[in-house]
Amino acid sequence: MSADVSDLSLVRRVQSGDKGAFDALVLKYQHKVTKLVMRYVRNPAEAEDIAQEAFIKAYRALPQFRGDSAFYTWLYRIAINTAKNAVVSRDRSPVDYDLDMQNSDESYELQGRMKDAETPEGLVLTDEIRTTVNAAMDALPEDLRTAIVLRELEGLSYEEIAASMDCPVGTVRSRIFRAREAIDRRLREVFEGGLGRAEELG
Amino acid sequence: MNEELDSQLSAMFDDELPQGECELLARRLARDAALQARWSRYAAIGAAVRGGDVRIGGRVARKVTVALAAEASWAERYVIPPGGGRAPARWWRPLAGVAVAASVAALSILWLHGGLSRAPAELVARASAPSAPAVDTPASYVVPRAVESRMTVPATELANYVVAHSEFSTPVSRRNLLSALMASEPAASVPPEPSAPPVGDPNHHADPAH
Repeated sequence: MSADVSDLSLVRRVQSGDKGAFDALVLKYQHKVTKLVMRYVRNPAEAEDIAQEAFIKAYRALPQFRGDSAFYTWLYRIAINTAKNAVVSRDRSPVDYDLDMQNSDESYELQGRMKDAETPEGLVLTDEIRTTVNAAMDALPEDLRTAIVLRELEGLSYEEIAASMDCPVGTVRSRIFRAREAIDRRLREVFEGGLGRAEELG
Repeated sequence: MNEELDSQLSAMFDDELPQGECELLARRLARDAALQARWSRYAAIGAAVRGGDVRIGGRVARKVTVALAAEASWAERYVIPPGGGRAPARWWRPLAGVAVAASVAALSILWLHGGLSRAPAELVARASAPSAPAVDTPASYVVPRAVESRMTVPATELANYVVAHSEFSTPVSRRNLLSALMASEPAASVPPEPSAPPVGDPNHHADPAH
């Protein structure tokens, strides 16, 4: 399986005028891009703004994207450049950010979370999601949990997972899907409105 | 929700779906809100499994959608080849406009020149009949009065051309062309002398070469 096929399919649709396809790309990469930007700016709200700007730049630059590299590589490059420019333009270094705080990851994370405008509800939402996902992961059968962990945490391809789990690729695909469905079901149960509040995730 | 479709969506999310299926599903994903919500939750689950802050970044998609809502889609601004390929750049559009305007101007000038070059022959034919007495007058010396009357029509048409294509032409070239038209207008509006016979140029009359 050649990498980036699904992204490329979506990119081609955007290039032919389908904006909805770009929404799908943003939904897929918004967490990763924002997390990447958070390496340059610690303020979550600012990171979101920069991530948004990066996506908009990517949308406008899509006619120049020829698929020579993976879409996410291209997107990450745009995000990194946007973040660096933002840091330079605001004359702010990520190292110098609030030197009165301890420079541990924990303090940065706490600081970032506390600075979020939607702190009370947002923190509860995040904690609920995390707790629910962890509980759902723990409840998964071993083979499903291993498959989703290898995929999401280690970033292995289906073929690599199949090799490590000694099973066919089709089985890996099925296990990952079933794992996701089980977690998703728990998420939707927690957020009573079904899709309503769970859509906040995206 | 169709389980097979969801399974395909999960595989597509991981870039593990065959290309043909991917393209079909991408089309549906771009339109189906429920499918997009599921796709979004798959992303959030991945972020949560990796220990990320699911909330942070979860709002970016909405902000981007709102920000891009006012922008025209690529299809409205660009023509992308069906097979993908490199999209045409923006720079050719003004150049194409200039090229069109230049072509129109060049054709108009050539047309005028063609009219001018044809005119003497027509005048010779027309003038030679009534002015038979002027036998010694060489045809090539006939004053091309009729050319002036012909000039009014092309000038008007040319002006119409210029106005019609003014949006493609640069202000300088448009001004130049209009200036030329205005300069030619008085000559064209001069009525022909009432009884001037088609006479030869007396200065050239004794030219031994003719």
